[in-house]
Amino acid sequence: MTHKAKWAWLILILPGTLFITVFMLIPLFSILAGTFFEAERFSFSNYVTLFQSTYFQQVFSRSVRLSLLSTLLCALLGFPAAYYISRYSRHKGLMMALAVFPLFTSPVIRSFSWMVILGRKGIVNQFLVSSGLFARPQSLLYNEFSMTVGFVQLFLPQMILSLLGVMDSIPKDLTEAAGSLGASRLVAFLRIVFPLSVSGLVTGAVLVFTGCMTAYTTPQLLGATDTQVLSTMVYQYAMSLRDWVQASAVAMVMIVVTMVVSGIFNRLSRRINPLAA
Amino acid sequence: MALLELQGITAGYDKNMILRDFHLSVSRGDFVSLLGSSGCGKTTTLRLIAGFNAPVSGSILFDGRDITNVPLHRRNFGFVFQSYALFPHMTVFDNVAFGLKMRKTDRRETEKRVMEMLELVDLKGFERRYPREMSGGQRQRVALARAMVIRPELMLFDEPLSNLDAKLRVKMRVEIRRIQQELGFTAIYVTHDQEECFAISDQVAIMNGGVIEQMDTPAHIYTRPRTEFIARFVGFENFLNLQRRGGVLLLENGQPLSVPEAPGTGDTFKACIRPEDIQIAPEGESLENPLQGEVMVTTFLGRNVQYNVSTPLGEIVCSSAQEHVYSIGSRVTLGLSGNKIILIEARPNS
Repeated sequence: MTHKAKWAWLILILPGTLFITVFMLIPLFSILAGTFFEAERFSFSNYVTLFQSTYFQQVFSRSVRLSLLSTLLCALLGFPAAYYISRYSRHKGLMMALAVFPLFTSPVIRSFSWMVILGRKGIVNQFLVSSGLFARPQSLLYNEFSMTVGFVQLFLPQMILSLLGVMDSIPKDLTEAAGSLGASRLVAFLRIVFPLSVSGLVTGAVLVFTGCMTAYTTPQLLGATDTQVLSTMVYQYAMSLRDWVQASAVAMVMIVVTMVVSGIFNRLSRRINPLAA
Repeated sequence: MALLELQGITAGYDKNMILRDFHLSVSRGDFVSLLGSSGCGKTTTLRLIAGFNAPVSGSILFDGRDITNVPLHRRNFGFVFQSYALFPHMTVFDNVAFGLKMRKTDRRETEKRVMEMLELVDLKGFERRYPREMSGGQRQRVALARAMVIRPELMLFDEPLSNLDAKLRVKMRVEIRRIQQELGFTAIYVTHDQEECFAISDQVAIMNGGVIEQMDTPAHIYTRPRTEFIARFVGFENFLNLQRRGGVLLLENGQPLSVPEAPGTGDTFKACIRPEDIQIAPEGESLENPLQGEVMVTTFLGRNVQYNVSTPLGEIVCSSAQEHVYSIGSRVTLGLSGNKIILIEARPNS
């Protein structure tokens, strides 16, 4: 390698690194660092107060619970869809376009659409009443149900895309080989396709989980004051209560939770497929 | 009775039928190769037998049973892929043990049989490796072991050696033949490599355009091709038109051609002869079935020199190991050895 080439990589990564450092890392850490000080001394007291509040405990567990549930639902809905598109679909391009179509509209518009669909006079309630399943319209909006529906619809494309990328790279003859060795289609799927798709599943799960944890519009529009999550709580602390330190502490909790859960997903995937990245 | 029989098979995709009314019969214990260029239907045939694809019509009989509608995983046939198709997330041991696990073989028996198989393919000590940690030749041997460990009633090979380098290919084909003779299984082997299939097969079926042109032992195919296509395939390069008039075979220029035995029927034939079976001598020398001509191209091929000679019957290719090299423009006499000439009855459409 020449002397010039040694320095070339530095020049290539410098602009990006500088931008992220100056406009993201420094502000972020200066805010987060502030949460560890109380009266100019290092202390965890901000976090102790936070976790002692039952309200925060509720919000924290709701956030994690809804995010995990949405991730699970996205995996359950996305897996068969991705498998179908990857293996059996004749119009792959069209199917992929349909899968990612929701990404073309903003979360605000999508949330408003759910209000129309799930409202008291929405088509879901009209069906429930007219079919005689329920005597009166059910409250489907402004609760955890509508939030989960919103999350799943918001992030399902990410799950499908992550899975598709991996599934397309699984050679078809692997399932044929499994079949010739006596595996039925279902067994071949469970023993071969599933373990080999796990890396895509993890990528998708991390994207969906992080997305659900940090999404603001969807829980704000489809939830209610009694169904707050961490992201709406950050907003409330910062903008309504003007308590930037508490807001930062909640943000820190969100970052840690996201990182820990991503780590757990990765750990799980390695157990299913030791070679998964 | 045949072990495997394909009867009146039609198969293909949508409107593009690759096989039409196709027949094939394989005897127990035979090593049968399907040979042909790409698109001739050999792989389609193999995939139908394996159960990866279903025929549009026709039936597949195995050991007297109709297996046309038996699903892939109930057929108990071993399949070896060109791409090896090893499971990348499993060790060598787990790859080989996969078929036994599907059969719910108990652990002790599984371990014993997997180890036996790995020993047979010379991969003892590699059990805990992953496929990506192995060379192409080793991977193909794992694939072989994985297919054979289930004691299949039929082994199917889809160009298993074409991803290996030339030296390894020769070594592996000897290996496959040795194992086949040791275990005595019936095998169907698809390849486009003529040398490979002649070297390992009991029977060779040469396919062209979705039909078997000739199925015979390698020696018979080499010495007695039945069609011009086969003759070209096995190295006949010269084809001369013949007419029978009054019991005599005449070349296009009216010269009689003497051959040891002429077929009983038919009036128009093609005389096929390999380049190395044509003698070349200076003009005027007396040779069997002589033809006068002029050397157009001289090509040095190492062991031989090949000449393209222009004659009244058209261009003829001959090769000679003689030390004397005829230069371009030399007038020469070619001698067509009668007992090396194959006569093929000309079909109206060929």
